[in-house]
Amino acid sequence: MWRRSASFILDKRNDTGARPDFVSLSPPQTTASTMADTLQNPNAKVSAYYQTRAAHHGVVTSDWLAQAQAAVGKYSPESDVRSSSSAAADPGSGKPFSVIDEFNNWRKQPDLAEAVAAIRALAAVIRSSEATTMMELEIELKKASDSLKSWDTTSISLTAGCDLFMRYVTRTSALEYEDFNSAKSRLIERAEKFGEISYKARRIIAMLSQDFIFDGCTILVHGFSRVVLEVLKTAAQNKKLFRVLCTEGRPDRTGLRLSNELAKLDVPVKLLIDSAVAYSMDEIDMVFVGADGVVESGGIINMMGTYQIALVAHSMNKPVYVAAESYKFARLYPLDQKDMAPALRPIDFGVPIPSKVEVETSARDYTPPQYLTLLFTDLGVLTPSVVSDELIQLYL
Amino acid sequence: MGAPKKSAAAAAAARVSDDPEELARVPLQAVLLADSFTTKFRPITLERPKVLLPLVNVPMIEYTLAWLESAGVEEVFVFCCAHAKQVINYLESSQWFSQPKFSVTTIESHNSVSAGDALRFIYERNVIHGDFILISGDTVSNMSLTRVLQEHKERRKKDSNAVMTMVIKRSKLSPVTQQSRLGTDELFMAIDPDTKQLLYYEENTNHLKATLSLDKMLLIDNSSIRLHNDMQDCFIDICSPEVLSLFTDNFDYQHLRRHFVKGLLVDDIMGYKIYTHEIHSSYAARVDNYRAYDTISKDIIQRWTYPLVPDVLLLGNSTTKLERVGMYRASEIVQSRSAQIGPLTVIGTGTRIGDNTKISNSVIGKGCDIGSNVLIEGCHIWDNVTIEDGCQLRHSIVCDGVVMKSGAVLSPGVVLSFKVVIGQNFTAPAYSKVSLLPQPIKQDSDEELEYADNNSDVETSCAPDNMNGELTSELSEIQGSATSELGCGGVGYIWSICEGASEEEWRHSIAPISAEKLAELTQTTDDDLEFSNQDGNAPASSGELRSDALSDSEDDDEDTKNDSAYFEKEVEATFLRAVHENVQVDHVILEVNSLKLSCNMEFSACAGAIFYSMMKLALETPHKTTDELSRAVLNIFNSWHRLLKSYLSGKDEEIEVILKFEEMCSESAKELSPLFTQILHHLYDKELISEDAILGWEFEKQGAEESDRVFVRQAENFLQWLKEASEED
Amino acid sequence: MPDVQSLVIEFVLKLKKRKVEGSQATARQTAVLLRSVISQQRIGYTNQAGALIDAVKAVGEQLVAANPVELAVGNIVRRVLHIIREEDLSLTTAAMAGLNLSAVSDDDDDNDQDDHPVLSAAAVAAAARSTLRPPSLQTLLEDMPDPAAVPHTSSSGGDSEEKSKSADKSSRSRKLKHDVIEAVNELIEDIDTCHEQIAEQAVEHIHHNEVILTLGSSRTVLEFLYAAKEKKRSFRVFVAEGAPRYQGHLLAKELVARGLQTTLITDSAVFAMISRVNMVIVGAHAVMANGGVIAPVGLNMVALAAQRHAVPFVVLAGSHKLCPLYPHNPEVLLNELRSPSELLDFGEFSDCMDFGSGSGSPLIHVVNPTFDYVPPKLVSLFITDTGGHNPSYMYRLIADYYSADDLVLQRKAAASN
Repeated sequence: MWRRSASFILDKRNDTGARPDFVSLSPPQTTASTMADTLQNPNAKVSAYYQTRAAHHGVVTSDWLAQAQAAVGKYSPESDVRSSSSAAADPGSGKPFSVIDEFNNWRKQPDLAEAVAAIRALAAVIRSSEATTMMELEIELKKASDSLKSWDTTSISLTAGCDLFMRYVTRTSALEYEDFNSAKSRLIERAEKFGEISYKARRIIAMLSQDFIFDGCTILVHGFSRVVLEVLKTAAQNKKLFRVLCTEGRPDRTGLRLSNELAKLDVPVKLLIDSAVAYSMDEIDMVFVGADGVVESGGIINMMGTYQIALVAHSMNKPVYVAAESYKFARLYPLDQKDMAPALRPIDFGVPIPSKVEVETSARDYTPPQYLTLLFTDLGVLTPSVVSDELIQLYL
Repeated sequence: MGAPKKSAAAAAAARVSDDPEELARVPLQAVLLADSFTTKFRPITLERPKVLLPLVNVPMIEYTLAWLESAGVEEVFVFCCAHAKQVINYLESSQWFSQPKFSVTTIESHNSVSAGDALRFIYERNVIHGDFILISGDTVSNMSLTRVLQEHKERRKKDSNAVMTMVIKRSKLSPVTQQSRLGTDELFMAIDPDTKQLLYYEENTNHLKATLSLDKMLLIDNSSIRLHNDMQDCFIDICSPEVLSLFTDNFDYQHLRRHFVKGLLVDDIMGYKIYTHEIHSSYAARVDNYRAYDTISKDIIQRWTYPLVPDVLLLGNSTTKLERVGMYRASEIVQSRSAQIGPLTVIGTGTRIGDNTKISNSVIGKGCDIGSNVLIEGCHIWDNVTIEDGCQLRHSIVCDGVVMKSGAVLSPGVVLSFKVVIGQNFTAPAYSKVSLLPQPIKQDSDEELEYADNNSDVETSCAPDNMNGELTSELSEIQGSATSELGCGGVGYIWSICEGASEEEWRHSIAPISAEKLAELTQTTDDDLEFSNQDGNAPASSGELRSDALSDSEDDDEDTKNDSAYFEKEVEATFLRAVHENVQVDHVILEVNSLKLSCNMEFSACAGAIFYSMMKLALETPHKTTDELSRAVLNIFNSWHRLLKSYLSGKDEEIEVILKFEEMCSESAKELSPLFTQILHHLYDKELISEDAILGWEFEKQGAEESDRVFVRQAENFLQWLKEASEED
Repeated sequence: MPDVQSLVIEFVLKLKKRKVEGSQATARQTAVLLRSVISQQRIGYTNQAGALIDAVKAVGEQLVAANPVELAVGNIVRRVLHIIREEDLSLTTAAMAGLNLSAVSDDDDDNDQDDHPVLSAAAVAAAARSTLRPPSLQTLLEDMPDPAAVPHTSSSGGDSEEKSKSADKSSRSRKLKHDVIEAVNELIEDIDTCHEQIAEQAVEHIHHNEVILTLGSSRTVLEFLYAAKEKKRSFRVFVAEGAPRYQGHLLAKELVARGLQTTLITDSAVFAMISRVNMVIVGAHAVMANGGVIAPVGLNMVALAAQRHAVPFVVLAGSHKLCPLYPHNPEVLLNELRSPSELLDFGEFSDCMDFGSGSGSPLIHVVNPTFDYVPPKLVSLFITDTGGHNPSYMYRLIADYYSADDLVLQRKAAASN
């Protein structure tokens, strides 16, 4: 723990130069709380949700790549630590094999989505299980997926991925005329395929969204999303003439990274601080955001700030487009912002914050469907109401 | 693009719905003249026939054929003369020959030098069987023929002499330049408002002349005629077969309008009639000159010719999309982000546009390569043109394969023919025409020479392919000569503008008329406005003749003055001749009558004139005393009173005579003044002047001031006597 | 089949020349054309559906390209494709039943031969799920069967049948075509009768002494109102004239001829009148997948007025007007600019368009768009021949009518591999 968070601080230090002593004090609190915290997720204050983001999207620094390398490097030692801890946590597997271990290994590759990692992990479970009937296998998988989910309650796509795969398993078993082996092999094969499915999903989404990006339009994007990047990349390849406004995306400042990527594609891009959204909304033609999760209401859960951008856009009659792979559709129905597992992450304000002051560290918000115009998914272009239909179809 | 234009069936179907009885007839035919027998589009037309020049990136003939075919024409005879090979090759490569219900036949002739010859040639071929449509291959239209055809046929049923129906469209003249928006000259048409018959057709080429003279017979024959100068001739004619034979009969007919139409209008022996059909909602126009070319392209871009617009009518296999503010973009265009493409532009497939380039109101062809910081304004740029950085083009035509080295500038009105190279930082002077071919030596402004040149066209045209060969050979020696002409590295000859044409250049070039030119024009027009003191010679909008007459015969008053003077002289001359050669009075009367008619005078004027000349005669007869004079006068009266009498039909004339007499006495012939009463008395005795005329004269003089009443007072007692006499009985 | 080819080309040109007016006529003609295409298409024993689909798609592409604005064309093409898939699928599943029997009957086959049909059976089931419904979460993990996959499985079914019986195979091939043509005929039926079916529902929506407002002229609306009147409803109709084509005048004529109380108003008077109106009933040019409407120009204004005064805005649309696409930039792309001569008289304005003077750039621009885009949130109700629906439900209807992998007709390889 010390190493991890300390090193995290170090990283922070060498990106944002000199740092106030206060934050360097803060990690002890963090870890302290961690000890008090649940076993399965060692550092809950810096939630796994954030870890993945750190690993994949990188906390933007002068050289964020090196950062990402460092982040990945750092996982290996602690992953086995966690595996031991979580091995205790899940009774299902007495042997050293662990889902979470598997999951984390998969998760290391930067452009692999969490859901994919989860499903790969479950596939590994199937492979290693010596269950003889569909029933047993299902139970085993159930356990595994539960442990996975509970390991990081905050990552929606992880949960969604597990649910999705479980649904599939149950339905496959429902095909009576298959014998166990073929069923099993089929399951594994499909699970292996899933990675490429998820990649294909991004391509499809990019294609679908092309029509909506017309020449001379101005697009506002918030935070960093692989899908959105893919969309814009494709647009640029199709010689579309458009410009992009990137929000800074505090506290991760993932917007900076997106703007870097776009600059590489020499798309004209302009960087805004998050609070300048309303100011510049009138010159914007459409808002493009990714999503951590798409929920049953048809709304989305996404990086903090999405909600207010959607509100501003809605009040100015600008369309809000969401790009999200369908495996991010989750069985949640948040009734309000607080009605979901909070994904916490520390925020450095650059100045010492007196300990009495409370800091809102939640990293995500929920955008209700009525503020979204369309969702681009690999299932096609959908209105929010369609999304809720899909989910209901799947899980009823 | 295998599909397009096979819709003869569709068109036919449309026609069935329109008028079923049409179908029973012979298939509807059309004659398409793929050669405007003029040199207006020199030097471009030296290398490519006019009908193949791209209009908004599509060869003109495509518009014409597409229209004919959608209008339900089934057989088209394309008459090719200049560059016949190119036209035929083009048609063969196009879809037109492979139409099920729409047949295109080319007729090739090399010795035709005018539309007249063309039609004669077609007549010999004997392919036209029924009514046919006669147009030239540079006509753009979207009108439906069904109505005009019906009208034509009905007229034919009634009157077999109605051989032709002309399609006309309203289009106002520019008040300043006195030319239509298509750059054609002011056109006067007299049309019978009821029957729509065309009675008079005159192109007013001299822009300062504001008068036109109508034959009086027009007014006599027709209850009312409508005189238009705001009509545009669309050059779409529905003709009966007779037209062809007419051409063969009068072999001197060359020009369709100047000779044929006017010919028919003047000759009243055969009594052939031409009718007009005005179109309102639909569009029709002919690319007659560069200005028309520019104007019509803009009309097309503004969709007046719908559905013949770039994004609907898919000519060329690339689909064009219409975007905001009337901007048409074809597929795979490489455009820099910083390039600004203004409204009303068309950009062809595969064109590349560099940074900070500004384009507005222009048409750009396929595969052009436009560098950065280029300014293009109101230009027509054809295919595969290379324009290097920093060039500036304003209102000019740039043909295929032209190369403009960096920094070259085209001033308004420039025409660059095929494959010309403009040297670095060279500025092409306004209205200049540049071609790889040297300018023909003889400068031709009038018909006959044109024909000759068209033949020369034929020679060049026969070898469009070896053209390149000879060009390349030429280039070498051009290089030397032309570099001086077109800047370093430039290739081509600048054609000198002949004096005759120079006045025309600004009228017919694609460049808008420069402000100072306009100012100058307004000046001149204003001048001749006040010269002919008549308000608003602005293009007299059409109306019944009366309203229009004033615009055309505005110099009536001074006219009448000198007319009358001239008339009096004539009358006097006749009279004297009569006296000396003692001609019978009747003959004299006859002559005077004819004079009166020709000068269009009143009887009173005649009377006055004759009396005047009598008095003159009397004065000229040698006399010493007033008695002799009076005697002379008396003699004349005796001998000629019948002549005078014949004009004194009523009181007014008589009074006129008295006034005349009075005038003479007071002005020209003072010595008569003492004799005034006496002579008046004579007149009275001779019953030339009646009593009440004299009284009337006196009555008229009542109001006049003293100086004027001299003679009244002189004649006091005579008048007195007259009055008493009247009282007696 | 040259004759079909010429038919196609002829129709393409009609579309190009904008000679076909009205989406219903277009839809009908398209359907008829496609029917002849199908009947002419000769198909081999294997992969029949594939052959048909390809043929129809090829034709469809031409048609859509000919007039991209007339969405009805694309709709019908997709409908027909969907029909083919459905028919083929029903046949295949039927075949599978037979196949399973055969698989059971001869057990002496070794394993792989045995489970080959089994796997194919699974594939077919998967195909069944994915062809009938748009791709969904359920099918996400299964291999997305590309259009070719369906025929393949069916043909594999054919192979195994070949062992058992080769006689009925030919009959099957004939059957498929026959069924498809039957279905297409039904489709044509629907298109013809959509007016009546919509009009039937008039009574439920129009009540006594109501005031109905409509704009422009739509046959559907006419029938609808007339039907209500037939049912002894007494109500007034306000007709906005619908500049620049003034079809409202024709509609008013028609209505009066049929004895309805009619008031003609100018388009600009709509807002003034709307407060007295109980319901706005209009026709549509096309209904997009998100519930947005492509409608005659001027309707957006009416819709806004209606919303302002909370007047229900009802759109009548036959099912052939449902378009599975989402509108992007509809004001420009899905619009047609007609000739300005409908707005002003060329002769009168010719002097304003004299490019010879001034800068040479025309100073007067006349824009004459044909359509308006009415966003879904302004529409209260859609009445199609299947009943009334609210905008957010449109996608469901569309899911019933079209199959997902036909959505991308013109631009190939765009979506869903």
